[in-house]
Parts: sequence; C-alpha cells; structure tokens
Amino acid sequence: MIDKKIGLWIYNKMNEIRDFEETAWTLFTENKLRGSVHLYTGEEAVAAAVCAQLTDEDLIASTHRGHGHCIAKGAELDRALAELMGKATGYCKGRSGSMHIADFTKGNLGANAIVGGGIPIATGGALALKMQNKPNVAVAFFGDGASNQGTFHESINMAAVWKLPCIYVVENNQFGMTTPVEQSTSVQDISVRGAAYGIPGVTVDGNDVVAVYEAFAAAKERAVKGEGPSIIECKTYRWRGHWTGDPEVYRSREDVEDWKTNKDPIKRFRDYLIKKKLATKKELDEIDAAAAKKMEEAVQFALNSPEPDPEHVMDDVFYEG
Amino acid sequence: MASVVIMPKQGLMMTEGTITSWLKKEGEEVVAGTPLFEMETDKLTITMDAEVSGTLLKIVQPEGSVVPITETIAVIGAPGEDISALLGGAAPAAAPAAAEAPAAVAATPAAAPAVEAAPAAPAALPASASFVIMPKQGLMMTEGTITSWLVKEGETVTAGKPLFEMETDKLTITMDAEVSGTMLKIIKPEGSVVPITEPIAIVGEAGTDVSAFANGVPAAAAAAPAAAPAAAPAAAAVVEAPAAAPVRNPGERIFASPRARLHAEENGVDLAYVPASGPEDLIIDRDVMGYIANKPAVTPLAANVAKAQGIDLAGIAGTGTNGKITTADLPGAAPAAAAAPAAAPAAAPAAAVAAAEAPAQAGRGTRTEKMSGMRKAISKNMLASKSTNAQTNHRMVVDMTAAIALRNQYKALGIKVSYNDIIVRACAKALQDMPIVNASVDGNNIVYHDYVNVGTAVSVPGGLIVPVIKDADIIGLSGIAAKSVELIEKARDGKLTDADYHGGTFTVSSLGMFDLDDFVAIINPPESGILAVGKIAKQPVVVTNAEGEDEIVIKSMCALCLSYDHRIIDGAEAAKFLQKVKNYLQNPVLLI
Amino acid sequence: MAIMTYAQAIRKVIQEEMQRDDKVFCMGEDCEKLGGVFGTTRDLYKEFGTDRIRNTPISESAIVGAAVGAASAGMRPIAELMYWDFAFVAADQIFNQMCKTRYVFGGNAKLPIVLRSQQGTGRGNAATHSQSLETIFMHIPGVKVACPSTPAEAAGLLRTAIRDDNPVCFFEHKALYISKGEVPEDPNFCIPFGKADIKREGTDVTIVTNLLYVNRALEAAEELAKEGISCEVIDPRTLVPFDYETVVNSVKKTGRLVVVHEAHQNCGWGAQVVAEVSKQAFRYLDASPIHLGAKACPLPFNPGLEAAVIPSVKEIIDACKATMYR
Repeated sequence: MIDKKIGLWIYNKMNEIRDFEETAWTLFTENKLRGSVHLYTGEEAVAAAVCAQLTDEDLIASTHRGHGHCIAKGAELDRALAELMGKATGYCKGRSGSMHIADFTKGNLGANAIVGGGIPIATGGALALKMQNKPNVAVAFFGDGASNQGTFHESINMAAVWKLPCIYVVENNQFGMTTPVEQSTSVQDISVRGAAYGIPGVTVDGNDVVAVYEAFAAAKERAVKGEGPSIIECKTYRWRGHWTGDPEVYRSREDVEDWKTNKDPIKRFRDYLIKKKLATKKELDEIDAAAAKKMEEAVQFALNSPEPDPEHVMDDVFYEG
Repeated sequence: MASVVIMPKQGLMMTEGTITSWLKKEGEEVVAGTPLFEMETDKLTITMDAEVSGTLLKIVQPEGSVVPITETIAVIGAPGEDISALLGGAAPAAAPAAAEAPAAVAATPAAAPAVEAAPAAPAALPASASFVIMPKQGLMMTEGTITSWLVKEGETVTAGKPLFEMETDKLTITMDAEVSGTMLKIIKPEGSVVPITEPIAIVGEAGTDVSAFANGVPAAAAAAPAAAPAAAPAAAAVVEAPAAAPVRNPGERIFASPRARLHAEENGVDLAYVPASGPEDLIIDRDVMGYIANKPAVTPLAANVAKAQGIDLAGIAGTGTNGKITTADLPGAAPAAAAAPAAAPAAAPAAAVAAAEAPAQAGRGTRTEKMSGMRKAISKNMLASKSTNAQTNHRMVVDMTAAIALRNQYKALGIKVSYNDIIVRACAKALQDMPIVNASVDGNNIVYHDYVNVGTAVSVPGGLIVPVIKDADIIGLSGIAAKSVELIEKARDGKLTDADYHGGTFTVSSLGMFDLDDFVAIINPPESGILAVGKIAKQPVVVTNAEGEDEIVIKSMCALCLSYDHRIIDGAEAAKFLQKVKNYLQNPVLLI
Repeated sequence: MAIMTYAQAIRKVIQEEMQRDDKVFCMGEDCEKLGGVFGTTRDLYKEFGTDRIRNTPISESAIVGAAVGAASAGMRPIAELMYWDFAFVAADQIFNQMCKTRYVFGGNAKLPIVLRSQQGTGRGNAATHSQSLETIFMHIPGVKVACPSTPAEAAGLLRTAIRDDNPVCFFEHKALYISKGEVPEDPNFCIPFGKADIKREGTDVTIVTNLLYVNRALEAAEELAKEGISCEVIDPRTLVPFDYETVVNSVKKTGRLVVVHEAHQNCGWGAQVVAEVSKQAFRYLDASPIHLGAKACPLPFNPGLEAAVIPSVKEIIDACKATMYR
C-alpha cells in the first residue's frame, strides 16, 4: 500500500505535472508555445498513481494528452518543455511538439497523436515482454474516446487471447473532445467492456490516488502472474478545455468549478497524506516549492535552448547504423 | 534526262493528296514555274507549278488518284526518252505496283551501301603489328589518293618521319608515321583512292606474319558482311533515313529531341540540314545519327549542290567510291549532255553525229591520266554549276583611273593594296546594297546572307582554289588586303584549312595578268554571282569636257563581266549591281 | 545453388533467420498450421513453437501495432498481412505509427519490422484482393520498400529486410510464388537495398519494371529483339531506396524509357521514375518517356476484364516501338 515514500513521490509528481501544465498554458497565452497543446490538469492522480508502481523496465504508451504520463514515467520537465517549444534540446529534437514525447530509455514508448493509436503499440510491448520472459507490464493510457476505436477492441481481444501483461487504463474525463461520453459511448462504465473479452474490468474514482493505486496494483499482479490483461477505468475531469483555445460551449462553468473546488486530486491526496500522518504540512509545502522552482528552471532552460538546425531535418527518417 | 514529278508535301500534316486535274496532257510542253496540275489535301486545294521544263512524257497518276506524298505522279523529259527505269519497269497500266516501285528502288541503294561502308574494322591483327589508315585531314575529307610511298616494304619506319604522300580534293600533304617498326605490307599502292580510316599499310615487328591481311581485312572478316545478311536489317533500320530533304525557312524553329540535339552538338551537325522523321517534323536521334552515318556517302560538293538545289539525297544511288554520291549522280547533273536535247532539241542530232564520227586518228594515240583530287573537285563543281543554275552574264567597262590613284596613295603610305583588293571591296559594298546578288538558292527558297564573304580565285599548280575573305563588308580595304595576302600564301603552300574556303557568298576572279581583255566565269555554287575581271589597259575614251566638247582622252579601263544566276537575279538587277560596282571603283572615296 | 520456388525461398530465409536470432518471430493470420495462404511459414511452428510462429486474430491494426510495440521493446517481428489490400485496414498503424515512430521520437527508436504480404492479379481475387499498392508505401517517408521478382531475390532481399533496423514493407506477388529459380544456399546471402538489377542488357530502349512485370517486360524484349529493337530491362528491386543511378545511366545509353508496372498508372511509382529521369537525363532522351500501369479502374474479377485493366505484353511492345518512332 501507499507508504510515506511512495506517497511523497506521487504527491511530488502530481505537483510537477500541475505546474508543467499550467506553465504550458501561460506560455501558450504569451505566444511562446504554438501548435496543439492538450493539458492534463485535473487528471494528475491517474498518471502518478499508476507510474508509481512502474520501473524503467515497464512500458507505457500514452496519448495526445500525454504530458502527465511522460513526466510520471520519468521525463525531465526541462527537456519536455523544450520539446513543447520545439527546441533542439527537446526529447524529440523539436520535431514533434506536445503530442509525441517519448523516452525509450525510461520505458516510454511515446505519446500518440492519434486517438487509440497507442493501444496496439502497448499491446505489442506486452508481447515483447512476454516473449522475453520479463516480469514487467505494459500500460496503455487512453481516454474514453479511444475506447470506441477499433484498436481498443482488437488489442484487448488479442491481449486476452495471448494473456499478455498489458493493463488498459481508461481515463474517462467525460468528453471526447467536446462530445459528452454519454453521447458517444454505449455503456455507462467503459470497464464493463472487459467482459466482452473475458478479462476483469473495474471503474474507480480517477481523482482518488488511493483508489487508482489499489486497482492498478491488483491488475499488475494478475498480469505479472501471466493471467492476462485488465481494464481500469478512472473517472476524472479535465479542468482545461480539450485544447488551448477551446470555447468550452459543451459544459457549464459551475461544473468545472465544482470539480476544481471539491474534487481536486492534489488537494484530496494532500489531505489524505496529512490525515494518515504520512507527511507533514511543512514537508508538503517544501515539495510544492521545490516543484515550482524546478518548473521555473525548466522554463529558463527551454527559453534559452537553441532552435533545431534545418540542416538536420532529414536525419532519423531511417536508422543508418 | 527525264525527271519525275512527285506528290509534293504541302503543309506539316499532309500525308497524301488527291490529283483533281492535270493541266497538261501527255506529250505537251511543260514550262518550269507554270501550272502543271491541281490537287487537294484535307486542308487545301492548290495549283502546283512545274519544277522543270520539258515534255510531259507520262502521267502516272490520273485525275482522281489519291497519292501518298513523295510518290511519283508524272515524268517530264525529252520526247522519246526511255523512262522505263523511272517507272520501275512496270507497265503503266499496273498502276498500284508502278506507283510504289520507284520509291522502293530509290530507297534500297541508299541504305545498303551505308551498311557496307562501315569500314570493316579489321580485328585480329597480330599484336606486334598495326594498321596505317587513310587519315582524315580536314573536316570534309572523305577519301584520299596515295601519291607516293616514301618507305618501301621491308624498310624501317620511324615514328614522326615521313611515310607517304597523299592528296585530297583540297590539299597535298606528306604524312608522318605514327609508330616505328618495319613496313610489313603496303595494302594500297600509289595511285589508290582510299576512303578515310581504311587500312593502307601494316607496320610492325619484322617477321610478323600479316599475309592474311593482304587486303587490309582478314579473309574471314571480309566475307562476313555477305555471309551474315541476317544481322543487316537492324543496322539498316538505324541508317535508313526516310525523310525528305528538309525545307525550313531561315529562322524557323527546329524541333528536335533532346538526344538529337545532344548528338548534333557533339558531332557538329547543323540541325537545319537534318531531315526529320519524328512526328510533327520532330528531328529524332535516328535522323541525326543517320545524317552523320550518311555523310561519308556523299561528296561534300554533291552535298552542297544537293542542298542548293533542294535535292533529296535519300533516293539517289551513288556511283562514286564505295557507292558515294557524287555530283554526277545528282538528278539533272551527270548527263548534262543528255539534258541538252531537252533544252535545245535541234542541237541533239548534230552532237550525236559528231560523237559517232570521232574515230581515233591513225598513228597517234591518247594518254589517259587519272584526275587529281583537286581536278575532280573542280570538274564536278564546274559541271554542277553549269547544269543546275540559270547562269548568264552582263559586261561593263569601268574607268580605273581613280582606283589606281587610290592604290598609289596607299603605296606611298607603305600599305600594299592590290587592284583585286579594291575590286573585292567595291563588290562587298555593292553586295551590301543589293542583297539578292549575295543570296543563294535552297530548293524553293532564297537564302539571304547577313554577311558578305567574297571568294578570290587563286591559281595554284594543278588547278585553282577559291579562298574566302570573310566579312568583306566590314573589315575595310586594308583588312581585305591583309587577309588576301595571307590566303594567297596559304593557298600556294597548300595550307588552306576548311574554314578558309567555305562560306563564300560571291566570288571575284581576276585574269588580267594573263592579258585577257575580258572573260566569262562560271558561278561557284551555292553562290549566285561571280565577277570576272580583265586586264587594266589604257584606252582612248570619248569624254565630254568642261566646255561641253567631246574629246578623246587616254584612260585606264577595265572590263568586268558578272555571271549571275538568273533564277533569282533579274537582268536589270544584275545591271544595277554592275553599275554600283562601277560607281564605287570610279569614286573610290566611297570605299574608304 | 538450390532450385526452389519463390515461396520456398521465403520460407527458407525466415527459418534460417529465426534460427540465427531468437528475437525474430512471425505473426500473422493463419501463419501457424496452415503456414500462410502460400505456405511461406509452412511447418515452421513445429520447429519454433506457436509463440514465435504466432497466429493472430483478424485484426490488422492490432497486428501492425503489436509489431510496432514489440519492435520498440526489442523484438524483430515479421508481421504478415494476408493481402496487401488489407493494409488499408491497418493504415494508421502503418503510416502514422510505424513510418513515423523513429523520426518523431527524435531518433530514439529503432524499428526492425518486416511487414510482409502479397499482392497482384492472376488468381481471380477481384477488386479488394488484387491491387498492387507498393507506390503508396513509397510515398510516405519512413519505410523501405522491397519487391522481389525471382526466388533468389525473394531470399536475398528478405534476409536484408529482416536484418535491417528499419521497417521494411516486403511486397510479394501471388503469381510468382510457384516460379522456380536458383537460390544461393549461403545462410548469409543478402541483396543490398537500393541496387537495381539489369535483367537484360540492351541498347535501344530502357524498360523499368518490377515484380510480375519483369517477366512480361522480358517477354516483350524478346519479341522486340526479333524486330531489331534491343531492350534493357531493369528491375529496381527496392523502391525505397531507389537506384536512380542505374536507370539514368541506362537511359543515357538508350535515350528511351518505358516504365511499366501492375500498380495503377495514375501517380504510380513509374511517374516518379519518369520525373527523375527527365530531370537527370533530359538531354539524353530521344522520345518522351512512356509510363504504363493498370487503368484507373478497380480490378475486375472476370479474367478477360482483369487482363484489360493491366498492361499487356503487346502494350509494352507498342510503347517501346513508340519511343523508337516505329
């Protein structure tokens, strides 16, 4: 279960993610960032609670709203922000921006700008782990929208047939872009779709670190034992629009305020840590301050980083080694 | 000699025409330039004029016939002439066969010799020996005559030392050996006329057996062309150039494939002269390569004459060395005597009688000598000129007093200027004034030259040669004087290059030094005029003095005779030209 | 050398490469007991087990995506689609994922994937099972494209593909599987990518073609030889990378170019060859290059109709003659 060390790690990651996303938002409004930027603010509990249980040998495949997963899986704030700003020092040398951050050395098979695009890739990662007899798991993060893509069904079926160590984490943030989930999805709880493929599916409060943590721990145990994949649906909410500039005509301000005020995952976990005496208020304030400072340094790093050299624009289309 | 009338191509896309009406009947007289028949194509209805004068001997395609372009539709010639060869021997009644036959007959010989002409590269000569070949000297050389071997068989050959002497139609030259060794075999003895690049001797290590190469090619290889006819079609297909001689207006855009342009450029071929066989008059590579391959099969002179006359060489069988087309083979050229009856039927019987009554005189024989290369060239050129254009002449006497004074003024300044130079200058000015005299005929076109290049006939041992003073209209009198000295020296030394005697637009020939009062010169094709200059002599001349009295004075007079091509220069124009020359010579201040 | 069929050559190389490297494995529809529709993995499951000769669900996106994921995690998958036509089912995974992964991730990834399938006409498979689609894979950057036309090339190119650290789309032709030829027995026999093969030397017309049309072009060349036209037949063997040099040099010699493929003519890869040759050898061309391919019509079922859509040997002959103005 969540001990002090894990608790502080999760709390720190959630703070880093929140700072990163809000800084990205500010930089975007200041016109220092361009392109599609999809923010994870409000959903931090899922990435942090899942990745707290992964090592660099475990694999993840992420989504277009992937900053949180990448940071939780070990991405440095400075190089991640540099990538968002298209700088040569970014994780992808400035070629990919917000939607394609990857770091294979940390087991991150990449964010993915295609909805549902990463699900079969995580499945393939799990296939490799199984063939290599490794005691690790692969995690596919995706949203409620992706659960209506063919890749979701094809991949889960394939992983179930082959009993792959793959865990499908649905972040149900209530909207596929602007379309409410009840307009697009035939079931109230996406986790029930596991039954169609003969695997367990659970739905948890995605803003509750402890609930996500425990659900994932069970799924992971099953996967490592060779019993196959699971679906974990985390109900959560994105504080920002689908993209920076979303007029948000599809939801009310009151709803957003309600989620922010009463269901903020960071505030809830902070209260939990204090209540369970896993951390003092002072310790947590220090973590907040450290994260803020780290973020400030990351901004300076990214702003001061060089633009990529167009001379190398054709590099890496193929591996030439 | 009879000539065929063909279905003429009129317009880019014409492939056949319908004869709607013959305007002359068989047996009637036809005059060049007057209507002969009417035809229609898919685009137009047109009346066609006769190209030649004579009697309409045969209408091959009657009215209503649809005839592909270039096929024979009629024959014009002298009454009674045997024209069966032109009709392919087929009975006139067998119309379809007759129509196709001439074209086929014409095409075959042209393609076939070209295949054989590819000089059988004699391989398999022992490594210790190598061939001496007839070297190409000058752009236009196609064959040479070996006049003397300077090293005999068995003697030592030294690289860089004289090996043999030869002459071409342009020059006489001593050739040095390329390699050292022993003269193993002289393949071509003195007097042989040899196409360029063919082996003429074998030089190598003493004792090398070259007996198998007595004729320059191994016995087996020599037999090969005949023995391997199967290989021929492919090669023939490449060489076969079906297109008609190009008729392009000066400045007309020439369409050619990129590759055709590349190869034309690499081989110095002017695409304007290359017949197009591609679609819509596109010159393709095959045309250029065929043109290049066919070039050696035509003497330069014949090529020039053919071009000037718009004659399509593709249909002509050559009778020269290796089937080469000479001027004698050109339609209307060779049997110049035979052509005469057509023009003057009355003279024919007399000539025939004369020929028949010329037996060898008892006790005194004849001596036959091979013509030198230069003599052959002159012979062909002169004959071609006389038989292919309509030359006639005008004469005028000019007062050279002022020109003499001018020459003396130059002399006093230490500048040597000849009378000939002054006359060339006067002609150049007059030619500038009258571009038609500076023009040439190309088929049915008149080609005007922006430049004035005046040739000067120079007598050299064994014949004459006409070096050309380029840009005579712009280089000035002293420029002409300097250039003519240089050219005359080179001509006498046999060192003229191709460039020195090509490109003339008019010629001046002076024979005053031989005490001629006046004479008539023959035009040097494709030029359209030549001025014959007699001696300058003091003459009594009646002049009207300042008081209005006639008196006899002594003046230095010179007779000029302009031969001109009446096809494009009218009599009055020729007279006007002479007047201008006269005016310049009598007012030489205009020449400076 | 051993005489074997095109299908046997492919099977032999898969077997040898799986023996050599345990990261290499096969996955595809019916590749296990059936050994694939054309037997290219026949009985290999007996030697390597069903883990490494892995039957998949009929889920093309998942097959390709799993190959991308497995390759990202250190494996060397050979993924088989039953027909190249089915690539469209997996289009996102092929074109947006497999082709772009290495580049968009800043060169962090190596993706040693061979995506194999077969294509083409000849078996009455009609519109959705008979297309020739290699051009599309040439258009999207990030994948190499190999098209063997003989058993030896199938072996040499496939081994190179398996050992390549990049995604390779391997285009087999269904009508070639039973063709026989000599195949080197050397278990390291590789044919380098980007090196065209001159199947027949000639001097008059350069014919560039691939797969089944290599045979048809050779047939045309034989006929044309009887008429004195000498054709040089060039098989590029890989479209990515493409050996333009060999083609350009040939055209410099012949001055004439005919490109023919079974793929649709409109925007087919031959158009790219014509464009490149026009750029690099314009001055050497004696005629406008001719590009032949299937008509802009779905491939019909009836054999007569099918033949009417794809280029015939006669069309190749006529095209060559047209470049000769004959």
